[in-house]
Amino acid sequence: MENKSKLYEGKNNIFDYIIIGNSAAGLSAASSIRTIDKNGSIVVLTNENYLNYSKPLITYYLAGRIKLKDIYFKNEDFYKENNILLKKDTNILKIDYANKQVITDKNTGFAYRKLLLANGGIPIIPKIRVSESSDSPSINSERFKEHAENNADVNKNKSIPGSLDNSNFKNFTGIFTFTCLKDAEKVKDYITKNNITEAAVLGGGLIGLKSAEALLELGIKVKIIELSDRILSASFDKQASSIIENELENKGNRIYTQNTINQIFVKNGSLESFQLKSGEIIKSRLLIVAVGVIPDLSIAENSNNNIKKNEPGYLKLNRGILVDEHMQTSIKDVFAAGDVAESFNFVTGDKSNIAIWPLAVRQGDIAGANMAGGNKIYDGGYFMNSVEILNIPTISIGITNAPDDMEGNIEIMKDYKPEKRYYRKIVIHNNKIIGIILVENIDRAGIYNGLIRNKIDISNIKDNLVKEDFGIIQLPSDYKKHLVVGDGIEV
Amino acid sequence: MKKIYIKEEYCIACRLCEIYCQVKHSKSKKILKAFKNETDILSRVLVEEIGYNSFAIQCRHCEDAPCVEACISGAMQKNKNTGTVTCDEKKCVGCWMCIMACPYGVIKRDLSEKKVASKCDLCGDEEFPVCVRNCPNEALKFEDV
Repeated sequence: MENKSKLYEGKNNIFDYIIIGNSAAGLSAASSIRTIDKNGSIVVLTNENYLNYSKPLITYYLAGRIKLKDIYFKNEDFYKENNILLKKDTNILKIDYANKQVITDKNTGFAYRKLLLANGGIPIIPKIRVSESSDSPSINSERFKEHAENNADVNKNKSIPGSLDNSNFKNFTGIFTFTCLKDAEKVKDYITKNNITEAAVLGGGLIGLKSAEALLELGIKVKIIELSDRILSASFDKQASSIIENELENKGNRIYTQNTINQIFVKNGSLESFQLKSGEIIKSRLLIVAVGVIPDLSIAENSNNNIKKNEPGYLKLNRGILVDEHMQTSIKDVFAAGDVAESFNFVTGDKSNIAIWPLAVRQGDIAGANMAGGNKIYDGGYFMNSVEILNIPTISIGITNAPDDMEGNIEIMKDYKPEKRYYRKIVIHNNKIIGIILVENIDRAGIYNGLIRNKIDISNIKDNLVKEDFGIIQLPSDYKKHLVVGDGIEV
Repeated sequence: MKKIYIKEEYCIACRLCEIYCQVKHSKSKKILKAFKNETDILSRVLVEEIGYNSFAIQCRHCEDAPCVEACISGAMQKNKNTGTVTCDEKKCVGCWMCIMACPYGVIKRDLSEKKVASKCDLCGDEEFPVCVRNCPNEALKFEDV
């Protein structure tokens, strides 16, 4: 530690625990640490300036279903009771693992004994060409057909301000991402000020649909543009998607599948319209870009600069920060959890990045316990989510579309009643459930979740699985006994 | 803490537990008024029945409660002192993440007013939960863990 830079404030003040990230994983880790270590110093660093907030609630905030003051999931007392120091507006530049220092963009440093990277994910911004609309689009114009076919060739139009990308999309008025509270505040403000009644959402995945849901609740008609052949393609199958798609279209919204935006037209930097791959030009003053979220590796990559891959100070990354079953990274005393991490997938057996709230909480809890000297093992997670659109509740868990090349015996059970907007699908692999989709009646979804997590053999109850009244009483007798009688009394 | 234990072998599926639970969680707290006027009250205890087999099940108030882990609003909390898992209906946004997470399937959607998750609260203000007290056959017991 003797080589520590003079720049660092934290020199004589080493924090026992530094947590980067003030959301699900970070705060779950903080309380987990506190249950084991009552006295160690904990500091939570965040680049945002809120007490904290629940990311999934930004949709509810935009829709006006909750107020800003109700968006936090831990109140102020949480920090006091657990003696956690919260430092807002703190931008981390990089980490000096050798000297165990977190370095901010103001060149100040915080020294740590144990570090947790829980800084979440960032939205993907696809590169899309942006043109000033002095060459305002006309649908019949030959020139725009040519653009659609040839949009990589920037030189064809001299008045192009450039391409939409990570660094510049914020410069355009009317184009937003939708992953943090600041985004939601901006969108809300923009809708009110500009009296928006129609909007477009690029991306029919989870974030796209959740933001569309909020816009719909505000009475805004939505156009959803999705690259694949259906919405929610990652977690739904054709039938489940079609129930939601039909409902959306019946309510006056439009869905463009196998399509994307090829070019955006702005006037004085404000969105006016855009052109789809199919050639169609859509006028819109609001576009939400929601094509996906990736782990925020900016800090990790910065810290890896000038360090060779084989050196001990190199943090191993893939799509996310790679962690072991203790949520520890390739560097000792450095842990990662939540949307930034890549960890064991219980269903596929691979390492993967599953950016969902419950896993962020669990991973944070496990990381925190291990940072404080405990021994908790992460036995893996799998995708699951609950999305309600136009009052149709849906839950999807695990592998809902078994890949063609999957080894073993795959069975699929379905009950599809589109007229009732009802769907139930169970995916079985070697007599164990690996995935489900429920649409409309989601009431006992968790029972299936238990069967997946506990890898219960369901060969004797297959006939009952897809029934609407499926319950605990139909479960295999040992597992049923385990649930009803409980652990403590079992012999 | 105390927990409700299920004695499956004594349950005759009379569903009195469900009825008393509904009354307890009604506005009027009166059985006739509750059933005549407040038709959308949910029972937080659930009787499952096939043939002669039946049992009543409600929230198990798990040690590591998956519903608390899954809750995006902070509404679902496990009380550190009592061990009771309760849903703060003011904070709940009705996202149904808890329904997805609960392996017992004992959380319901209450759509009567604002959408909220409805679950057993162990009748916090009573000495015994009403389902236990009114079970004629001791098929539910309230005992120390």
